[in-house]
Amino acid sequence: MLDVGNDSREDYLINILRLSEGGTAVGTSALADYMGVSPGSVTEMLKVLKREGYVNYEKYRGVSLTESGYRIARDLRRKHHIMERFLTNVLDMDKDNAHEQAHIMEHAISNDAAERICRITGTNVDPDCATCTDPCTDSVSPVSISISVVEMKVGDSGIISYLSTEDGSVARKLISMGFVPGREVELTSVVSEKGARVIRLGDATLALDRNMASAIFVDVR
Amino acid sequence: MIGQPNVGKSSLFSRLTGIGVISSNYPGTTVEFDEATVTMDDVTLHFHDLPGTYSLYANSDDEKVVMDMLRDSENDVILVVADSTNLESSLVLTIEVSELGIPVIVALNKYDIASRRYDVDIDGLSRVLGVPVVPVSSKTGEGVSDLLHAIAGGSAKVSDYRVMYDGHVLKYVEELMRIDPTITWGQAIKLLEGIDLRIDSVSQEVKDRISEMSEEFIGIHKEPMNMHLARDRYGDAHIIVMEVMVRKQTEPSRKDRISEMTINPSTGIPILIAVFLAVFGILIFVGDLLATLVDDAYVAVVGSALADFGYSAGGELGEAIFTGIDSSISAILGLVIPYIMLFYILLGVLEDTGYLPRAVVLLDRSMHRLGIHGNGFIPMMVGFGCNVPAVMATRVIRSRRERLILCTIICMAIPCSAQLATITGVTGKYAGAVWVLAIFAILIALGFFSGCILNRFLKYEPSNLAMELPELQTQSVRNILKKTWLRISDFFKLAVPLLIVGSIIIELLVHYDLLDSIVEPMSWLTVTLLGLPAVTIIAFIAGILRKEMSYGMLVILAASVGIEDITLFMTAQQFIVFGIVMSIYIPCLATMTAMYRELGAKDTVLVSLASMTVAVVIGSIFNLVLSAFM
Ligand SMILES: Nc1nc2c(ncn2[C@@H]2O[C@H](COP(=O)(O)OP(=O)(O)OP(=O)(O)O)[C@@H](O)[C@H]2O)c(=O)[nH]1
Ligand SMILES: [Mg+2]
Repeated sequence: MLDVGNDSREDYLINILRLSEGGTAVGTSALADYMGVSPGSVTEMLKVLKREGYVNYEKYRGVSLTESGYRIARDLRRKHHIMERFLTNVLDMDKDNAHEQAHIMEHAISNDAAERICRITGTNVDPDCATCTDPCTDSVSPVSISISVVEMKVGDSGIISYLSTEDGSVARKLISMGFVPGREVELTSVVSEKGARVIRLGDATLALDRNMASAIFVDVR
Repeated sequence: MIGQPNVGKSSLFSRLTGIGVISSNYPGTTVEFDEATVTMDDVTLHFHDLPGTYSLYANSDDEKVVMDMLRDSENDVILVVADSTNLESSLVLTIEVSELGIPVIVALNKYDIASRRYDVDIDGLSRVLGVPVVPVSSKTGEGVSDLLHAIAGGSAKVSDYRVMYDGHVLKYVEELMRIDPTITWGQAIKLLEGIDLRIDSVSQEVKDRISEMSEEFIGIHKEPMNMHLARDRYGDAHIIVMEVMVRKQTEPSRKDRISEMTINPSTGIPILIAVFLAVFGILIFVGDLLATLVDDAYVAVVGSALADFGYSAGGELGEAIFTGIDSSISAILGLVIPYIMLFYILLGVLEDTGYLPRAVVLLDRSMHRLGIHGNGFIPMMVGFGCNVPAVMATRVIRSRRERLILCTIICMAIPCSAQLATITGVTGKYAGAVWVLAIFAILIALGFFSGCILNRFLKYEPSNLAMELPELQTQSVRNILKKTWLRISDFFKLAVPLLIVGSIIIELLVHYDLLDSIVEPMSWLTVTLLGLPAVTIIAFIAGILRKEMSYGMLVILAASVGIEDITLFMTAQQFIVFGIVMSIYIPCLATMTAMYRELGAKDTVLVSLASMTVAVVIGSIFNLVLSAFM
């Protein structure tokens, strides 16, 4: 966890996470636009974050999170969602207001308190808890950056983190067959490098061709 | 009856209604709905067996059948068939269906397997879902009568289960219901997922609002609403399963190892080749044995009884007619039926073990060259039985382009069981087994070329392979025999009466000296190009009605000119040409109808004409080459 008083660094990390979902590096100008700050101050902050080991950053190449930066960002976002859910579902606050409040609280609340609140609102798996078997606590455990099923090795298992594909029908088919973030998958065999992947999903075994398999991103254990 | 693919809906339907429908161990067996009525406890129940669907989404034509059924018809009760060996996934569909606000009853199928693996708290599950849950096994029949009583007794309920959806989603739902009070809660959820389950679709205002909501949602959650909703359902289903199921022990994994071997290319491909050689080997050699046995039995039982009867009933003409009937029936029974029956038994074994989907996975890459995916393999296998269900089975494929390619290959290059019987039983018997292989080789080449050519010229459409691999299982002899009978009973019910009619017509034509003048105009084709007797045109035309009729008619035609021994009627060379033309030319009437329904008139006509042309061209070439060398 970063030291107290580093809200703005944490904001950078969480926003880089939001923009880089899907695995691509984020351009500094896109980040500046998104956060509503000047490109100059973005560059300054990125240099600091790079020195501290939270991001990979090179001029003109964009920025991506390192393992430790990623962990902090996900933790923050998990807290954000827990708070937002609590404010809307339990306190019946309207969602814009809740979002703003959650934005402040995500930096302040302790792990323990977040976990307790999460238990009140129910253990529904939220985007950031996607990798957790127990969504209220698990994201403190080490996470790794998601890789696509095509990059997995036979025997690897992990938890689906997100789907990324240009083709809407592929996503729909995958969702309806149960390839949904938060579920556990294991790669049981690969027919050939370009051929089908055989995947264990829950109690079922499914085969996907390379193209479909490449749309599924998994946090491998 | 709604359920995910391969959970055993059709097996349960057969158990509930006593109506035989085909069930096999792969997803996508049923692609059209079947219906049946039973009376139980003085209540008349009308069941619909539907194609399997993973969710209420409609990705392909078979899933659309389900959506249309949900939209259009007034179902009193939805019987959700869940697979108790894969409960989590089945529960997600159960939850989706429950949300629609229609009374639901859940059949927990394959309970015979599940009860060995898990302790299941049925009452707990029923309490959580708020609907009755009845464990059944369509394999052993256990629980089926309880289920019938429960349905007849009206115990189905509208579920009050609510998924813990995201707060934003719940707000949207309320808003939609406020804008248009006729929208129900379940419909609103579906609308947010982009699916309209209402008969008359919603107003433009609602549509616009939904697209705003979707955008807003993506802005907040960074993922589309349908994914978020699915995720919430899986989250809930997972929790429910954890609560109601306890795993007893992990089974020894011999099946897993065999399954692994069938998919792993280094062992899988040799297995695949061995399986195919075995199937065709058995077909050719055991088929021959069987044919001889049946033929002997027929001669022993019927003998000259039919011909004698004909003579006593109608003199010379009567005798001629009945001799024709006698020889064609013995030809069908003795030659065609044994091969067809044997093929269906072998297909049944392949289907029920669960091997076919594994072959699909192995073959996927190689089939890309033909412009189709591994999924096409199962319709092709089914096509070796009968082209009609094969054409329908292409529904599981989303891309129209692939379906067209596949249907072309099925019609031209895949001989149906009646054609297989003609090739192996007739050409094989009278010209030698080598020629059977030669014809197969031509058909394979033909399939390959037509696939490649169509693949070149049809506009590319992306399409993907995603297939569930069912557990391997030991097959039930009962199911295989039942399926075989279902599939061949038509040959007895339709082919035999048709042959009787055909025989009468031919004899009358011969009697009044009309036959020659009728077949004469087509002799440029039969005699000049193909080198066959002019009357064979009648056999070919009969083959458009039903393929096994061709050979039956040939026998009748031979008999009509007083030739009992068919080898005196045609030479070996003629049998080869006959076999080739027979296995390629025009699909039968039923296949054309099926194609018309699936692909439309234009493509059906094109495929039929193309097959006709190709058949005549290859037949003529063979005639020329063989005349030169034989
Ligand atoms: N052990 C066991 N096997 C079953 C049971 N019910 C069905 N099966 C097997 O499961 C497989 C699928 O059965 P089908 O009835 O074809 O399934 P379906 O749901 O109609 O499948 P689709 O039409 O493809 O959606 C077959 O091999 C059946 O023999 C059961 O209660 N116990
Ligand atoms: Mg079925």
